[in-house]
Amino acid sequence: MEPGRRLIWLIAKKEIIANIRNFKTPVALVTMTLLSLLSAHALALDYRNRLNNWSVNCDSQRDPSVRGSVSYDLSDGKFSHGVVFGNRPPIQPPQPFSALVKGMDAEMDRTVSVSQRIVFGARQDELAASALFDTPDTSFVVKLLVSLFALMFSLDTVTREREFGTLRAMLSQPIRRRELIIFKSLGASICLLAPFAVAYSVEVIYLQLAHGLLSDRQSLVRALLIFGLASLYGVVFVHIGLFISTITTRTRIAVTTALLIWVTIVLILPNASMLLAKLLTPTPSYNQLNARLWEAHRRILQGESEANPAARLPLARPVSIQSRPRLYEIERQETDNYLKSKKDQNRRARLFSALSPAGALTFGSSDLAGTGVDAYNSYLELFRSRRDVMIDALKRSLDLTPQAGDKLTQEARQTIANKERRTETLGASLRSSIISVTSLLAWAVFFGLAACWRFKRYDVR
Amino acid sequence: MFRTILRRELQETGASFTLLSALVALTILVPLSAYIQARYHRHVVEDYAIRQSIHQTESGSQSIILIRPIPPLAPFYNGAYDSLPDEFRLQRDSAITNPPGGDLTPLDWLFPKIDLSFIIGVLMTLLTILLAHDTIAGDREQGALKLILASPIQKRTVLAAKLTGVILPTTVILVYVVSLYTTVVTIFSRGTVDLSGANLSALTVFTLAAIIVLMVTVALGVAVSASVNRSSRALSLCASIWIVIILIWPTLGPHLASSLKPVSSPEAFQRDMITKEKELIREELAEHRKTAADLKAQQVGVETAWQRYLELRRRWIERRNEEIGRLVRERKKQIRDQQAFARRISLFSPYVAFKEVLGSLCGTGLESYDEFLAAVERYRHQEFIPKSLDLLSRQNPWLNAANPDDRLQLRPLRAPSPTLSQRLATATWPLSILIAEMVILAMLSVLSFERYDVR
Repeated sequence: MEPGRRLIWLIAKKEIIANIRNFKTPVALVTMTLLSLLSAHALALDYRNRLNNWSVNCDSQRDPSVRGSVSYDLSDGKFSHGVVFGNRPPIQPPQPFSALVKGMDAEMDRTVSVSQRIVFGARQDELAASALFDTPDTSFVVKLLVSLFALMFSLDTVTREREFGTLRAMLSQPIRRRELIIFKSLGASICLLAPFAVAYSVEVIYLQLAHGLLSDRQSLVRALLIFGLASLYGVVFVHIGLFISTITTRTRIAVTTALLIWVTIVLILPNASMLLAKLLTPTPSYNQLNARLWEAHRRILQGESEANPAARLPLARPVSIQSRPRLYEIERQETDNYLKSKKDQNRRARLFSALSPAGALTFGSSDLAGTGVDAYNSYLELFRSRRDVMIDALKRSLDLTPQAGDKLTQEARQTIANKERRTETLGASLRSSIISVTSLLAWAVFFGLAACWRFKRYDVR
Repeated sequence: MFRTILRRELQETGASFTLLSALVALTILVPLSAYIQARYHRHVVEDYAIRQSIHQTESGSQSIILIRPIPPLAPFYNGAYDSLPDEFRLQRDSAITNPPGGDLTPLDWLFPKIDLSFIIGVLMTLLTILLAHDTIAGDREQGALKLILASPIQKRTVLAAKLTGVILPTTVILVYVVSLYTTVVTIFSRGTVDLSGANLSALTVFTLAAIIVLMVTVALGVAVSASVNRSSRALSLCASIWIVIILIWPTLGPHLASSLKPVSSPEAFQRDMITKEKELIREELAEHRKTAADLKAQQVGVETAWQRYLELRRRWIERRNEEIGRLVRERKKQIRDQQAFARRISLFSPYVAFKEVLGSLCGTGLESYDEFLAAVERYRHQEFIPKSLDLLSRQNPWLNAANPDDRLQLRPLRAPSPTLSQRLATATWPLSILIAEMVILAMLSVLSFERYDVR
């Protein structure tokens, strides 16, 4: 082996051995494995519950509805009693990958009924306590633990050597300072990623064996890509740790600074970028949309009453057949605007999340898992296209006899029931995660360069 | 002597890098998050007005929609306000009360909004841990502890001074944070947040609860500091405990609780209710058919038949309410048991206990939500169903002369607005856990410090 290369290996090896000896690597291994398993267990059960919920909903769609009427036909007059009682609207199946990265999948646990209007039901989350805190999926575990252990491994690499006096001895060797930092980063990254790889593999194997999830080839590739993204996130924090280590002289100050920076990056910045996205892309609320639809309905009714002043038309009634196409078009337009603004907000939020490594990780991992922004947007798109089919059928049925019209809308209902949500291809998932990957790469390079630059001026005495 | 040590502690803490940088960070973050919350609250209030006007149009004699009033202190602690349905549709012809719809908020699942509870429960507890971890171990490393203990002073007095030396500055920062947040919320919410009377008192208790949480963290930091001999070790230990009790356990706890105490899926429950209701509707239809035939055979007049019909309807509506109500009560009991279990296993985390207290104080907790649901049920039985049936009995459908202006005259829903003492009563349990934790940790620090090896 060339002397230069031997030195590289020596520095990295020294780092690895030091971390095993001071129990950092074993602690990281045990903690990450334990938490990954707990998270996998909780989320796999959550997925199974949601899957079960969906299958019950599918079954109940086939239950016959009740309708009937009774006429009280008496000699001096008559009245009747009628009743129609149907089933719950359908819900969408959960994504199996949400057991690993839940992403926006929780938002889809709601019934949605589609006719000329899309009616989103309330979200089904009865265990409200879980709504008060984050979801403990893999993305959450990585966000907190991988970053913390990365800092733990890298934070004292320089200050510790300086405090022990070994830094001077090391720099007396024929080695550049820049190279020393790079090799130290390599050593710390190996110390971090080896236990993480073990913990992650244990988690994936547990999900495969105990719950039969992620066993096909594409899922494994997705799982591997998420691991790659999480590793990149870990490397960003290794470099942040190295950088902090080069700007401080005492380990304790380095730790305090690191904790403050960690809180800012992991807990504050992603939320702040989300708020920024919401401020810059205001969306109307669902109630505002409903108010607009009601307003349109009311205006049409008023117009009809004014056009026909002789008849005393009540305001609480359906609009006349002539005005219906106009009403459908207004409803289509308003709903499309609402859905478009939601989609735009999601896309912008993903863009802004790239401002912080934790935000990039959250969006990137959910994109790779197929539970991210694009998957959610295609969920909205599904209802939009179903609604279009319904409106077309309703419009055409206006020219037909009531029986033929009913038949046509029934057929349209069948057609839309068979329309499935498009599952995102791997290529599409990869494309949508480009922003996040680029952001993490940029952060890693930035802090790596900053650490090299600072270390050049570092006072080793 | 107590004063001398306290003054030294205060001087050290006041000049520390941690305190200064945290102060700068809080001064930026607090107004920002208060501004966002105030804006959001304004939006929620506007939405509320829109909803009311829509529901007035939508409501008829057969169905109405009830909206949950906005909790007065929601911008301070969002709690469960946004994540649970806050509208319910009551129907005369169905005993099932379901929420009619909900907004799409996918981003909130990825990043929950920052409110005052987060700033105090996460950021300020971290700051406190960072200040408290080296009070004993740090002095020992510098050699100052030996000098202090060489003077004729009891160890307890030293400990008391050290505890006070961290609690005082953090309390000052807390008061600063709360006042800054409140000011910004008041200015930007443009009068939509009512800070008078019970709400102001609730906010004061909010601050006191926050002080208790910070005292728990100080006691934890000092107890750890008095148990190890190096401040870097104290810091690693404190940070690990903080991460587990503040960030990890509160997140994992409810999910583990639901796996240990499972309940049937929401759709299965809905299906049970719908099946039951369909069964009852079919039976009712059969009885109507039989009665209609009997009445025709008896050749009674239409008015008498209408009275018989109304009596039948009333009886069946009552029966449906009873049977469906039983299913709902069973389900609620299951959910409540699961929630109670989730609370039991996560309440030891000061952050969870703090949020529980805030939920009761701000009206955004699960208890307040349950009270609202109970109020909806009461309203249905006592107001909506009787008046709706009354209206039905006034109609004479065989005359085809229904008066279109004959609308349902309902008195508005009186949602529960608990007084401060009622709010405090529901917060007693989590508050006592916080106080117990504080006492135990303080005693632990005294015991550890008594045996501390100052060499």
